[in-house]
Amino acid sequence: MSVWFRQHGFALGAALVHLRRAPGSFLFNILVVAIALALPFTGLTLLDNVRPMSESLSVDPEISIFLKQETDREQAQALATPLRQLVKDKQAKIIFTPREKALDDLKTKSGLSDVLTTLGDNPLPDSYVMKLDAFRNAQAGGDVDQLAEQIRTLPGVESVQVDSAWVKRLAALLNVLRLALLLLAATLGTVVVAVVFNTIRLQVMTQRDEIIVSKLIGATDNFIHRPFYYTGALLGLCAGALALGAVSLALRPLNVAIAEFARLYASEFQLAPLPPLAMAGLLAISAGLGLVGAVLSVQRHLSRLN
Amino acid sequence: MIEFQSVSKQYSPDAVALRDISLTVNKGELVFLAGPSGAGKSTLMKMIAAIERPSAGKVIVNGQDIGKLKPAGIPFLRRNLGLIFQQQRLLNDRSILSNVMLPLLVTGASRHQAEQRARAALDKVGLLDRAASMPLALSGGEQQRVSIARAIVNRPQIILADEPTANLDRDSANRVLDALKAFHSVGVTCLISSHDEQMLDRAARVIHLKQGQLEGGAP
Repeated sequence: MSVWFRQHGFALGAALVHLRRAPGSFLFNILVVAIALALPFTGLTLLDNVRPMSESLSVDPEISIFLKQETDREQAQALATPLRQLVKDKQAKIIFTPREKALDDLKTKSGLSDVLTTLGDNPLPDSYVMKLDAFRNAQAGGDVDQLAEQIRTLPGVESVQVDSAWVKRLAALLNVLRLALLLLAATLGTVVVAVVFNTIRLQVMTQRDEIIVSKLIGATDNFIHRPFYYTGALLGLCAGALALGAVSLALRPLNVAIAEFARLYASEFQLAPLPPLAMAGLLAISAGLGLVGAVLSVQRHLSRLN
Repeated sequence: MIEFQSVSKQYSPDAVALRDISLTVNKGELVFLAGPSGAGKSTLMKMIAAIERPSAGKVIVNGQDIGKLKPAGIPFLRRNLGLIFQQQRLLNDRSILSNVMLPLLVTGASRHQAEQRARAALDKVGLLDRAASMPLALSGGEQQRVSIARAIVNRPQIILADEPTANLDRDSANRVLDALKAFHSVGVTCLISSHDEQMLDRAARVIHLKQGQLEGGAP
């Protein structure tokens, strides 16, 4: 076991010695790989920030029912009964919101209290929100739309809105973005492998004499290959760290701009760096991509020296 | 120790390096391989080190049939051989001490152990005081002695020296030969190829090759 550790220590040392001999070239390669990694890392950071927001929004169907302005309070409250009959045995919560409360909520949430006060009459109608807990399967969309149509025919109803639609659209959009990010990551991962492949190819060429001498004095293939594997993994690891650092730094100016934007919606939304475990995972993936590039290059180019 | 049984080596129909060679080198022998350039001396040496495989016949080294040796077994065969080349094949980007340590490091020896044994090997060839020097700072003869130190540092059973004194002046050549003879005197089998007539005069056994064939029949 100690020989195993010693040989790996020797390989790591040999890799570092070779990197130290051409630091400019190594740094340039790190930069190229880091740029390739930074794009999917940025996308992943954005998705990671948006995901909890979309998850916190209810994707359970909600139907908002706005009543006609001329409907008096008694008629409005009486509408609860036909609404309950429409949902029948399904789990549903029906909440009545008087127009006064709706105005108060709007004043509180929008920060437009002063503007709303100048309106004089309350422009908002009485309304109901129907939360449908039992409509979760794939057929639910059609059922909800059918229910909304039925509600529209009830007397006193001005308009009906299926509120979960935009949440579904957001979820679908996020799925598309996730898939696009996966494709981007696959493409740029291939770029990383290609860059490392070429870097190792050049190293094999410059260390040709050393490789030949090592073979002649009894070095095994593993002994010869290992330093190149370490070089590839180190290149990936350093580039991954640089890319993560760059993404984290870029969040600062981005957050300044986002803060301005979010304030308009009374939100304090800010982009946060990825959690440490996710970062460690990305570093491992970066090192893994470097290792894959090195293994492919070594298999291809060292076999020619045999 | 080393046995060639009707060995031939053909690179192409027009390029036959060895034809039906049969010979035996016993353990602890010092044998010179003589012949003009292109006689097949280097090919014969390369077969012993499994750098080349025979096209026909058998090459047996330390009881192992080189033709049947798997690629993974070649490094372990070579660890029992000390290879010395006409061009010393030293690594010019590291000190001669590091060059001599390398055969030990590939076997998994610790740096401390490798350094001690490399210094001892350099001492045997009279170059301990140049341990920190870079190869290019040494003369051709000194470089060849470093390559001898590298070849013997692993305490090999067989030393194969391919034209070790070519390109050296007489004095340097004698010192290289004396170093090789010193290792032979402690029981190491030595096979040295040379076309230097003066050197062959000092040999107890000489195998002559010409155009890939043994001159004067099988020794």
